[in-house]
Amino acid sequence: MNKVIELKDVWKIYKIDSMEFAALRGVNLDILKGEFIAIMGSSGSGKSTLLNSVGALDIPTKGAFLLDGQDVENLSESDLAQVRGRKIGFIFQAFNLVPSLSAIENVMLPMTFQGISRSERIERATKLLDSVGLKDKMRNLPNQLSGGQKQRVAIARSLSNNPEVILADEPTGNLDSKTGEDILNLLINLQKTENKTLIIVTHDEKIAKKADRIAVLSDGQVVKIIKNKK
Amino acid sequence: MIADYVRFAFNSITHRKLRSWLTIIGIIIGIASIIALISLSQGLQNSVEAQFASFGPDRILIAAKNFQGPGSVVAGITEKDVESIKNIGLFRSVSPALTRQAQLEYKSKIVFWSVFSLPAADYLDSFADFAPKLEAGRQIRKGDKYVVVIGNRVANEMFDKEIRVNNRITINGKKFTVIGIQKESGNRDEDNQIATTLEAAREILNEPVAVDFIITRVKVGQDVEQAAEKIKRALKRERNDENFEVNTPKEIAEQINQVLGIMQAVLVGIAAISLLVGGIGIMNSMYTSVLERTKDIGIMKSIGARNSDILWIFLLEAGMVGFVGGFFGILFGLGISFGVGAFAGQAGFPLLIKANPYLMLFGLFFAIVVGIISGVLPAIQAAKLKPVDALRYE
Repeated sequence: MNKVIELKDVWKIYKIDSMEFAALRGVNLDILKGEFIAIMGSSGSGKSTLLNSVGALDIPTKGAFLLDGQDVENLSESDLAQVRGRKIGFIFQAFNLVPSLSAIENVMLPMTFQGISRSERIERATKLLDSVGLKDKMRNLPNQLSGGQKQRVAIARSLSNNPEVILADEPTGNLDSKTGEDILNLLINLQKTENKTLIIVTHDEKIAKKADRIAVLSDGQVVKIIKNKK
Repeated sequence: MIADYVRFAFNSITHRKLRSWLTIIGIIIGIASIIALISLSQGLQNSVEAQFASFGPDRILIAAKNFQGPGSVVAGITEKDVESIKNIGLFRSVSPALTRQAQLEYKSKIVFWSVFSLPAADYLDSFADFAPKLEAGRQIRKGDKYVVVIGNRVANEMFDKEIRVNNRITINGKKFTVIGIQKESGNRDEDNQIATTLEAAREILNEPVAVDFIITRVKVGQDVEQAAEKIKRALKRERNDENFEVNTPKEIAEQINQVLGIMQAVLVGIAAISLLVGGIGIMNSMYTSVLERTKDIGIMKSIGARNSDILWIFLLEAGMVGFVGGFFGILFGLGISFGVGAFAGQAGFPLLIKANPYLMLFGLFFAIVVGIISGVLPAIQAAKLKPVDALRYE
């Protein structure tokens, strides 16, 4: 199977005053196209830093990061933003919808930054919101939606540029267990039917057990990769 | 794409309505005061110029030093001065004039007012051409003595009863026939004017040789400024002092314009300060906006916004605040100018206020530029935020 993301000996070193702190210490991780991988680790294990690297939000201090075979290290900040917007759909624990924009405008936003025409954006955003069951809430502002509905909008938004990878950071962390399960099933369903690569960062073992593989992170290193039998 | 930025910017402004309006009000005040002050001082300049254009470019006014215009009483000019000027030979008329306070009575109402007088023979040529035209009757001419030509307000408002041509009014106990009534000019000085003959005025004042100032009119083809120089030299020689002033319309207009220019510069300076404060207001508001939306910026960047996208959104937001402030500022500024203009007109001081389209365009353009300049730093700061840091911001 093709690798969609490759991390080769990735280091991330933060400098605070003259102190250096390595959040990632030589991470090697391949993520395959179409797989569902969970990244687990306790807090302080470097989970967030790894997420930022995998999501191309941050360039590693050292090491190579290949997104769809392309080395992003030498891209300018703006080109990196463009690539990120096209290839990766983000889903956050805190939903991170733009509060002043309605549901449909939030879903249209990633397409706006790719220069897609307004009519096409409206058409596609409508379809996506329909597919997550929010057709009648399209004009609502985020504060007029429940947590589960917000996360559905976020999922629709993550799909708007038809990215290879969906990167979800604790997607059910702010939801009750029933809603969380619905959201998780929606994501897994997408991974299966649309052949998306699904990366979920979580500390919830129940979620991790549904993944194809689990990467366990500790002290800035991937210490274990567990393959789940189906 | 631009349309989307505009929509985002607009969205952000309307999302924080109160704060946006407070910022906009800062710009409105700045632009309104600049527009109002420039329009008003231009109106003042227009009316001063119009007044001097009507005075006639071939006139020279000679008065004692510190002569403050009709109504004040300053001695110092004499019949000898009149003769000296006549002797220069460059003038078609040299007219001694008196402006004195007198007691006026009509149908038993008594008023104290200043009375202006010129020799009866000179009145038509020296004065009548730039005074308001007559509504009724005739001008003073050679051979007249106990007659008056009165301004419109004198005829209609000064006394209890209206004055008509051929009515008689009493000045310092002597009866005068009203032979002419001027049309209303809107200028309070002109509408309040009472003009008679120098011969009669000297008689009732009991000052047979008094002169307050001299109006001369140069012969056709003579240079006014040169003639004024000659008057100065002749008077200096004859009087052996410099206690007099020789003013040409051009000089007076220049002096007034100089004063107006300084006034305008000071006023515009003050207005510019208020606009600067308005600009700082925009900057402050934009910084707050950037801070408030740090997380939004992080979200936008994580889903593909380039630095330039963010920069544009914030610049447009600042520009739009400037535009709206400029638009209303111009409206308010013009409103103030026309209001003050109308008020001053009623008080007898007409200002020729015009809505200058260039000034309006300048105001709008200036407001947008102030907005954008004030927005540049906050916008750059917003654009430079790292997505990771911005997302973490709460």
